[in-house]
Amino acid sequence: MLKRSLFLFLLISFAVNAAGQVEQRESDLKAVFIYNFTRYIEWGNDTGHEFVIGIISPSVIDRSLTEISKTNKVGNRRIVIRHFSKPEEISYCNILFIPKNCPFPLSSVLERVDKGTLTVSEEPGFARQGTAFNFIVINDKLKFEANLKAINAAGLKAGSQLLKLAIIID
Amino acid sequence: MQVFTSVLVLTIFFLAFIITDIRQYKERKVSSMKTLAHVIGLNSVSALEFRDNEAAKDMLLSLKDNSPEVVHAEITDKDGKPFASYTRPGIPNVNTPGVVSGENVQLTGEQLFVSDNIINSNNEQLGKVSLEVGLSELEETKKAKYRLAAVLLLIALGFSFVIAVVVQAYISKRLLYLINNMNEAGKTGNYNIRIADEGKDEIGTLMKVFNKLMQQVTESQQRKDEFIGIASHELKTPLTSIKGYLDLLNVVEEKQPNKQFVQKSLDSVQKLESLIKDLLDVSKIQSGQLQLNITQFDINALIDETIASMQMISASHRISRENDPGPLLVSADRQRIEQVLINILSNAIKYSPGENKVVVSTKNTGAELVIKVRDYGIGIAAEELTDIFERFYRTKDSSVHISGFGLGLYICRDIMQRHKGKIWVEREEKGSSFYFALPINKQ
Repeated sequence: MLKRSLFLFLLISFAVNAAGQVEQRESDLKAVFIYNFTRYIEWGNDTGHEFVIGIISPSVIDRSLTEISKTNKVGNRRIVIRHFSKPEEISYCNILFIPKNCPFPLSSVLERVDKGTLTVSEEPGFARQGTAFNFIVINDKLKFEANLKAINAAGLKAGSQLLKLAIIID
Repeated sequence: MQVFTSVLVLTIFFLAFIITDIRQYKERKVSSMKTLAHVIGLNSVSALEFRDNEAAKDMLLSLKDNSPEVVHAEITDKDGKPFASYTRPGIPNVNTPGVVSGENVQLTGEQLFVSDNIINSNNEQLGKVSLEVGLSELEETKKAKYRLAAVLLLIALGFSFVIAVVVQAYISKRLLYLINNMNEAGKTGNYNIRIADEGKDEIGTLMKVFNKLMQQVTESQQRKDEFIGIASHELKTPLTSIKGYLDLLNVVEEKQPNKQFVQKSLDSVQKLESLIKDLLDVSKIQSGQLQLNITQFDINALIDETIASMQMISASHRISRENDPGPLLVSADRQRIEQVLINILSNAIKYSPGENKVVVSTKNTGAELVIKVRDYGIGIAAEELTDIFERFYRTKDSSVHISGFGLGLYICRDIMQRHKGKIWVEREEKGSSFYFALPINKQ
């Protein structure tokens, strides 16, 4: 556990030290946040061997998430990263990350998403358009919006400790 | 003493009470603050995980209303860097409480430091929450408790004082009553007194024991009196017979020295007889059987006769009469008055060895005739003046060796009391004066 924490810390520190790579640093933080989300979400009856995080590629978060997946688990489940290059490829996953500047319209992506999948985006206004969580930066701080309807629609439950930090979107 | 004891006991009790109370208060405070720190820790897990120090700060701000005793609170991340902190409004900047090392509870004087690790569901330590709690409330409570204890102590002191005074009065009253009774029994020789006391305490027991003792004394006196009565009676009968035969022998015996022997025996028998007579009188006095045989007679004639007869047996002393006012009739028991006079005269002779003068004088006050017998003998110690009229009283002066039972004056006093008269003694420069006063019948 400690190693893992240490790793996360080192990862972040590294990112901070690498001047100029602001985007990468932000992605690292987002990856950590996504991983932290998994702790506050009740994942329902889905108890597969693997915990699948899907990414609509390409995205800078890919590297960060891959690093996390190497050393962390969700419960007892191994983390597997899947990459989808277009909406049609989207298949079973627990979390689907929709990067900014995604070339596909959001509705076409959401159409393909199964029930039980938590959608996470990073484009202002996306939470209102139906993603469960949406990263935004306010005063240089990374925050996230939560769309309760979307979370409910996905058949998931978010813990109050998570929601109290989120900006709730109705 | 009572008051002191109760104050001591109460002080110890109150101190123990306050100390226990304060300790419990501290324990409660520590435990509640530990819980508070833990809850804050639990609530700040997500804030730490999502780097949201504003959320953490908001949460800490809620301490202002919910736990105003928290002076300072701080959440540090896992590297020990400050994450969020809170200081109660109106408090100048204080040292960060995060210095609590090792132990997560530290109680110093008026401050309590509590810290707790913040651990997420994966058991990773995310940081630490530290609280600094002001205990001014404790000081207030302590002061209030001491004040209350002091007030209660004063009230208790007052009560115990009042009770002590009341009890003291109650005890003293009964003790004095007992002492008075004892003194009276000692003075009058009346051991027939019984004390009534309702008390169930030690004094009540003392009274009961006193009553029992008095009863025993009375009983033993009764037995003694009975014994004296019986013994003197039984002794008198054979003595009368002996005396009769000796009288007879005295008449028929002519030869010397036999006649002298008989006369000596007769003297001794007479002494013995008078002793037994005294004993019998005492026994009669005790049982109330002494009866006066009142007749009218000339008291001055009686005095002269008695002096004459005493002069007959006393070779060493000259008994003189100072004045002789002529015949004076009184109503009294002639024999008993004579007995008194003989007694006093023989005492005057007995207790003035080496002297040769005894003076009798009378004085008529109108209401009574006072007869005075003055001797120039060894005198009487001042402290013995009243005692000499007691039964079986013998002088304590060891240099005086005079035989007798010590009954004569006792009988005299009784006889005079029965005549409604008086008997007393006065010390003189040399020797003493015995007086007895007899009321004069005016008829």
